[in-house]
Amino acid sequence: MRRRMLVGLVVLGLLAAACTGGDDDESATTGETASGPVTLTFWHGYTDYEADSLNALLDQWNAENPDITIDPLFVNNDKALQKLTVALQGGEPPDITYQYGSSLPQIAEAPGLVDLTDWVQSPEVDWEDFVAGARDAATFEGRVLGVPALIDNLAVVYNKTLFDEAGVEYPNADWTWDDFRAAAKALTDPANKQFGFSYPMDASEDTVWHYDPLLWQNGGSILTEDNSQAAFNSPEGVEALEVLTGMAVEDESVFLDLQNSPYTGLFNSGKIGMLVTGPWDLSSFPDVDYGVEILPGFDGDHQTIAGPDMWTVFDNGDGHAQAALDFVAWLTAADQMKADALATGHLPFRLSVIDDTAFVDEFGKTIPGVDVFAENLTNVEQARPVLAAYPQVSEAMGLAIVSAMLGEKDPQTALDDAAAQANDALALAG
Amino acid sequence: MRWRSPGRLGDLTAGRALRTVDRFRRFLVSDHAAGWAFILPSVILIAVFGIVPILWGLILSFQKAGLISPEREWVGVSNYAKIASDPKARQAAVNTIYYSALFVPASILVALFIAHALNRRIAFVRFYRLAVFIPVVTSTIATGIMFLWLFDKNYGLANWLLGKVGLGPFGFFEDPNQAMIALVLMTVWGWLGFDTIIYLAALQGVPQELLEAASIDGASRWSSFWRVTWPMLGPATLLLVVWSTISALQLFDEVFFVTHGGPLGRTSVVVFYVYRLAFEQGLGSLSLAGYAAAIAYVLFLVILLLTLAQFWLGRRVVHYSS
Repeated sequence: MRRRMLVGLVVLGLLAAACTGGDDDESATTGETASGPVTLTFWHGYTDYEADSLNALLDQWNAENPDITIDPLFVNNDKALQKLTVALQGGEPPDITYQYGSSLPQIAEAPGLVDLTDWVQSPEVDWEDFVAGARDAATFEGRVLGVPALIDNLAVVYNKTLFDEAGVEYPNADWTWDDFRAAAKALTDPANKQFGFSYPMDASEDTVWHYDPLLWQNGGSILTEDNSQAAFNSPEGVEALEVLTGMAVEDESVFLDLQNSPYTGLFNSGKIGMLVTGPWDLSSFPDVDYGVEILPGFDGDHQTIAGPDMWTVFDNGDGHAQAALDFVAWLTAADQMKADALATGHLPFRLSVIDDTAFVDEFGKTIPGVDVFAENLTNVEQARPVLAAYPQVSEAMGLAIVSAMLGEKDPQTALDDAAAQANDALALAG
Repeated sequence: MRWRSPGRLGDLTAGRALRTVDRFRRFLVSDHAAGWAFILPSVILIAVFGIVPILWGLILSFQKAGLISPEREWVGVSNYAKIASDPKARQAAVNTIYYSALFVPASILVALFIAHALNRRIAFVRFYRLAVFIPVVTSTIATGIMFLWLFDKNYGLANWLLGKVGLGPFGFFEDPNQAMIALVLMTVWGWLGFDTIIYLAALQGVPQELLEAASIDGASRWSSFWRVTWPMLGPATLLLVVWSTISALQLFDEVFFVTHGGPLGRTSVVVFYVYRLAFEQGLGSLSLAGYAAAIAYVLFLVILLLTLAQFWLGRRVVHYSS
């Protein structure tokens, strides 16, 4: 008995200590204005040459702004939301963090998240200069919660050597999905373990956003206009999915990448003819003579999908928030965007930069094919719904696509089942 | 501790104060205080990383709360009530039971076989014992990467070898009907060393004279194993059954890294589903962390009851030698 009581006392003491500790932290950080130089914590997910480019910009900023020092920390983008959750539980979020656009609804209610709606209207931001798709993706329920950090889109990357060997003509801007399917079939060689196409099959958002452009091109949509019901199981949606199942199940011309990672290595070793992917993968293909072409289309509609990522800002008091905003405005300004684009191949997404022809010419020479991706931003017509229940809608769609492509369910049944699940989630979230 | 009253002191209050001080002084020099001082570091660690989260999780399970959104709403037992009608929770439960039903007997039987093989005088026995144990100290990530390549449908070594004898190709982690079995193979391999060491120790504790007596009485090797050795291994088997069941029901790392619950949710086990709800899907205004905590508590109760049942059964069938 006595021992148990002592353990209890120790626990209570620790709890008390933990609580007091928390209070101390809060009172230390709730100052009003900066009382001298500040150091800002800054989370980003860049590695390798992308990190080199970012660090060069940070050095420049730190040299020019002795009062505001940026302290960068690498955080894997795929787990940035989880790490932020832990930091928020500890009451110490970073001042600035990189987050996927799709995470905005999740962090919209986070304590300390800075609402940027008024600030982006200030002249130093020049908000209207960002492409519309990026601004929409930064806005959740009318509030601007992030500043666009990076935009990708999907296009076809193909191995020219494999096309030549198979005697197939290179993709062109007028291709239909039937052309794409025929080429994938011709490029497949089971004896040599060679596939015409590869598809991410981990049922994640990556699986889903590869399907979205087909759905949209064919006139379908993910949800109804008021975001209250699933709409992807329409005849247009089923037809779009049948393109993928036709290749995966009937032709067996698709490498079904359940891990969603071996595909880069396999493409680079000449085992895959075509990928639908974004500019971030191009630097992984040094051994392949590749070409880039915009997506095939339905009835001449070649629209693609954009994946915008965001810089989000948290208010840690003591003038940190204002300093963080000053820095983010500088980092996303036209000059810095140009410098970073030339160093990394990141697509520029300010209109003033895209319209600068001298710059675009130079940009096309950095990594072969990035200019096609840059121009492809003009083929972005729609965005995925930004809402709290989206992760569950996405999960249902991902499972439907994978089950249909594995031949477990026919496309109509798979999408109908997913629509029922998505509707439940949407109803629950209200 | 016994306290003898000082008796003669007139002033009761002063006496009480003195008594308290004296009691505290005695405590400081007693074995109790020294004992507590020694275990204090672990007590603090267990409290901070064990007891506090356990209590916090219990509170959370009665709330509608997300880990990011600051809003908390008391909802009574409705999180618990929701579990029964959640098809994904049911799928996770079925997957977990399926995994445990394969993993526990497979890992114990294979370990018994290998321990028996290693419990004799053969050349390089130390090397074999070391080799069997190495997977246990290898990180899950390394094991996972290795098995992903080994079991790759198109380029893996396993399919290449099986192809040589006319089998396959198998989808392994990529086939919804084989993924769980592939996961069992991988985890049995990973945990084999631990079970083997326990059995090896137990086998070496089996008295030789019993086996000799059996053979004199004309018992074959087979029957002396099942009639003499196997009962003597009872305590070790009970330990391994309990331990393996608990770890099987809590499977997470391998699923998180290797299959991420797929394909088609066929390897989505309970702890992985809890993680997805609390840390991936329900962070914001969906507020699913409370629901996830409720599932975690149900799992805790199931494990507790199962363990008690195993010990109760064990007391009736396991033979403890003196």
